[in-house]
Amino acid sequence: MSQLHNAFTLFLSLLVEAMPFLLMGVLVSSSLLLLVDERKLITKIPSNPFLGALVGSCVGFLFPVCECGNVPVARRLLLKGVSPGVAIAFLLAAPTINPVVIWSTWVAFGDQPRIVIFRVIFSLAIATIIGCIFSVQKNAKTLLQPNLARRFNVLVNGRSREFNKNQESQPLLLQSGTFLLGTSGQPQKMEALLTETLSPVVALANSSKFQSFLDNVVLELRELGGMLVIGSAIAAIIQVFIPREIVLNLSHDTISSIIAMMLLAAIVSICSTVDSFFALSFAATFNSGSLLAFLIFGPTIDIKAIGLMASVFKPKIIIYIFVIVAQLTFLSTFIYSYFS
Amino acid sequence: MLNKPLPTTKKNRTLHIIKGKRKKPNWSFWLDNVVLISWGCLLLKYAVTGEYKLLIHPNYFWLVVITGIFLLLISIVRSILFVRSSNYASDSSQHLTLFPAKFSRTLLLGVALAGLIISPNVLTSKIALQRGVTENLPLTHSQPESFVATIKPEERSLIDWVRTLNAYPEPDAYQGQPAKIIGFVLHLPELPENYFLLSRFIVTCCAVDAYPIGIPVQLEGNSSIYPSDIWLEITGTMATVNLPSKDHQNQRKLALVPTEIKQIPTPKDPYFKSDQ
Repeated sequence: MSQLHNAFTLFLSLLVEAMPFLLMGVLVSSSLLLLVDERKLITKIPSNPFLGALVGSCVGFLFPVCECGNVPVARRLLLKGVSPGVAIAFLLAAPTINPVVIWSTWVAFGDQPRIVIFRVIFSLAIATIIGCIFSVQKNAKTLLQPNLARRFNVLVNGRSREFNKNQESQPLLLQSGTFLLGTSGQPQKMEALLTETLSPVVALANSSKFQSFLDNVVLELRELGGMLVIGSAIAAIIQVFIPREIVLNLSHDTISSIIAMMLLAAIVSICSTVDSFFALSFAATFNSGSLLAFLIFGPTIDIKAIGLMASVFKPKIIIYIFVIVAQLTFLSTFIYSYFS
Repeated sequence: MLNKPLPTTKKNRTLHIIKGKRKKPNWSFWLDNVVLISWGCLLLKYAVTGEYKLLIHPNYFWLVVITGIFLLLISIVRSILFVRSSNYASDSSQHLTLFPAKFSRTLLLGVALAGLIISPNVLTSKIALQRGVTENLPLTHSQPESFVATIKPEERSLIDWVRTLNAYPEPDAYQGQPAKIIGFVLHLPELPENYFLLSRFIVTCCAVDAYPIGIPVQLEGNSSIYPSDIWLEITGTMATVNLPSKDHQNQRKLALVPTEIKQIPTPKDPYFKSDQ
């Protein structure tokens, strides 16, 4: 019974810690929906797969969100028509390549600047490589979770119909909250009761835009919140019923300690903004290569986030991403350990 | 002429939708609000009762408070918009959600209600044993190593002692120093019968990453009279002892020899913070 209570406490702890970041991500995603014109956005991203993926990896600098906040943003980018390569590069890099995380890594490992520098370089490289791999697939639909793909379909079709000024397609547009954005011909609500009390950004938008913003916030919070609950529950159960010592005892040499730290990173599901402080507690027992593996692998893949990723991609694609990230992390940190 | 049906314009169709909406109450809209309110209340409850200290690092306190307030605000603003506006086209995308909306709602509401009813517990010695007690406590480079010298031995907390030992690990250096330490009882299988570990958790981010630290306490009799997880305030002196470690090799370690042992209630703030 006490173990169940422990699991419940850990579960709540994961949720309470992740909820603010999820809300932040959902707010960024919903403002993107309102404020960014997708046609302009797409023309700004380089069409070259490598440059596109690199830009996607660096976009994290603009949105300091950790691995719970980046999923709604990446999902929004995909729905805005950004190519899958760019969106996946963003998804993988944003939790590490952002000012907050780099700063906290520096605070923790300032006396070993190599760890800070290589964390950034390797994360950027891995995200860009995987972004390039997925940019081969031009059609995002084949990667997306079936329901999201359907939404994507409706959006894309809706957009083309909107261009044709086809009046008959309007009721279909009304079927999706995201649809309300471009429909300037829609009857406008006259109430401007809230514009005075709202933030300047929102005040710019008219009240129906604000409504669709709120609706989208609630919709995404509900969907991703549900996935977060499931992911956190699994992570908490694993934490309580699989002793961490078993994982740590796996490490005997360079290879096995890199693998042990990667396993630990996936199990612990700790937020990337503070994971460096956690890694620091292993600095005495693990070499810098395996600490690096923890710091690179943790932000991209953890059990809590897999729930969220499942709301975007097909399971097969998540496994591909997972396997490729794991391999690249292992390879890069192994080479690092060899030379350091 | 007046009875002539209106042409099916977009405006006309919207009016039909409004009519339909007004006939039956919009349950999904209000249920979403209930979910938002329950989560807002849950987060604010943790902030007000101080239970957040059992879940997350206190640095995140304001983040939790702001999130709680924000969730409540969203639900209030939505409700005002809904009541004031006659054509609130809420959540018309239900057919296209990834997860059945009902399922998500029930899950989120269930968790929030469970959280409101069941309080989080203080991590127990079972978790400490699973995570492995560490005797090494790394310092971040922003923490000067000389900081401990300024604290008198009897005023050092458990984390100060472990840090001091990390900075200078020779146990003989502290032999005979007075100490007064608070922690919970942890029985390590490798320790002899007359020893237990006085232990506490350190939190870096949330309870999930908390890891235990500890100092052995040497008793005259059997240590089993102190059950696991009770909190003690022990006054005594430090001594160097030979203790078996996990690999069954004896190691010289610093242990606390008590002169007075007092049982205390579980502190409201039981964890150390990593930057404390």
